[in-house]
Amino acid sequence: MQGIVIPITMVPGNSTIHRMNPLPKLLWTLGILALSFSTRNIAVLGVAFLIGLLLVFYSGITKAYVRVAMILFPISLTLITLQSIAPAFPRPWTAIVGFGPFTIYQEGIYSGISLLLRIMAMTTWAMVTIMTSHPSDIFTSLKKIGMPYVLNFIFVMTLQLIPILQSEFGIVLNAQKSRAMKGSGFGAILPSMVPVFVGAIERVQQLSISLESRAFGSSGQKTSFRQVRMAFSDYVALFLGFLVPGAATYWVIVDKSLDWSHSMVFSPAFAITLVLGATIGFLIFVFFAIRAALSA
Amino acid sequence: MEPLIKVENLWHIYPVGNVTALRDVSLNINRGELIGVIGQNGSGKTTLVKHFVGLLKPTRGKVYIDGEDTAPLKVQQLAAKVGYVYQNPNHQLFARTVQAELEFGPTNLGLPEDEVAERVEQAIKFFGLEDLRDLHPYRIGFPLRKLVGMASIYTMKPDIFILDEPTTGQDNITTRKVYHLIEKLRDEGATVLCVAHDMILLAEVVERMLVLRDSELIMDGTPRQVFSNHEVMASTHITPPQITILSLRLRKDQQTLDDVVLSVDEMIELTKQSNTGKK
Repeated sequence: MQGIVIPITMVPGNSTIHRMNPLPKLLWTLGILALSFSTRNIAVLGVAFLIGLLLVFYSGITKAYVRVAMILFPISLTLITLQSIAPAFPRPWTAIVGFGPFTIYQEGIYSGISLLLRIMAMTTWAMVTIMTSHPSDIFTSLKKIGMPYVLNFIFVMTLQLIPILQSEFGIVLNAQKSRAMKGSGFGAILPSMVPVFVGAIERVQQLSISLESRAFGSSGQKTSFRQVRMAFSDYVALFLGFLVPGAATYWVIVDKSLDWSHSMVFSPAFAITLVLGATIGFLIFVFFAIRAALSA
Repeated sequence: MEPLIKVENLWHIYPVGNVTALRDVSLNINRGELIGVIGQNGSGKTTLVKHFVGLLKPTRGKVYIDGEDTAPLKVQQLAAKVGYVYQNPNHQLFARTVQAELEFGPTNLGLPEDEVAERVEQAIKFFGLEDLRDLHPYRIGFPLRKLVGMASIYTMKPDIFILDEPTTGQDNITTRKVYHLIEKLRDEGATVLCVAHDMILLAEVVERMLVLRDSELIMDGTPRQVFSNHEVMASTHITPPQITILSLRLRKDQQTLDDVVLSVDEMIELTKQSNTGKK
């Protein structure tokens, strides 16, 4: 069960990042998101990813992060394999080396690496924010900047439902295993998913009744149990959150010299090693995933 | 004779939070016994029985089912011998009809079709589900859905039935029906373990009780022995059935009763006897 459940939720701690107000964290994450989508430059994306990693180490969420990354990274590696032979790039493509019916392209390798870094950069920053902020604090902070209460509530409930559904899935899987069901394959999907979804629908139905019976949706100012304060340092972080990713995004958009897709030339040896490495990495992951599912 | 379930110095420590859920538990359960597992919430009842079906593995110690060490066995392998009926039937049921639900377990065991069909028929008869066989399990009421959950394990014909709170959330009629079914299971030769807070079930149906407190097995005895043990009752915050309390009071305060009574019928019987004695 532990192998299946991925805890993308708050990891308690007392680092500076944990103590920070969620607003600057959210702003920084959005900024990195905008920056990542504005450039294909490997160096810029790599630096964003590295800074994200440093924040992961600094805030003491490494263990939880690695558990998620161990699934995310190998899956993202397929981008390199697929992009290298079919780049998401305007033609003409420059061939590096032939591989039976396939050809590895210069633009493909570049595109694969940049997409991989883009995904890793964005998810790393997002995970730092989610894993270091209490859901209620995010809720309260967003409310302060005018996010409608109902929308906010939906957002928080979704975050809270994920771990509940994950644990529910564990219970159901155990129930079906004790009815001699194999814990893997397509045959396992229906018996394990139907009870989870039915449970989720029932839960939401009960929740709505319970909310209404406790005056949810009544008008007027609500009292917030958790108080989130903006310290001076939070204002500084917020200001920098506008400034740094904003300026970086502006820079990557206007500076045409950052397009390295043609200037960065990959040798055939490097291209083959990278594509093979990525493919093998993904296959190893698939192997372990199947083995884990079979032993479950 | 080799016990059907043998637990030797079992310890279980949950890795998350390093919580010790079972502390040095040893016990034997023989074939055909009808056992109640009681204790407060968090005392280790469910942790204990989950070891029997292989959902949990011992941190230390051994659990043997029919002489076989459970540690290397998968849940699916143990499922043919040990059936676990969940407290909430919604965790088990998924098929489109009750009949398909009942077929799921035996087909997983790889039984031939005619054998599966026969077992389903037996289960439908045993649990009285004739009118429900073509209905969707989620369209029938909770008490009957719980019976379908039990029936879906019954079709696997395990030697051991573990029933987690079989009477919780049940109306009176179905509760009585469940008591009767548990006795019927035992009469058919099965070993039944009920994890329960239902004191009437424990007093009137089970023959032996395992009492857990703070991860330890503190008592193993008949319901009469357990309910008359003040210290165990007080420390586990378990209240015996009212008729048992009455008999304990009469015995202690007025010395008008010699025995501990477990049911109203027993009390009537005793009163009759003492009246006949007086006459």
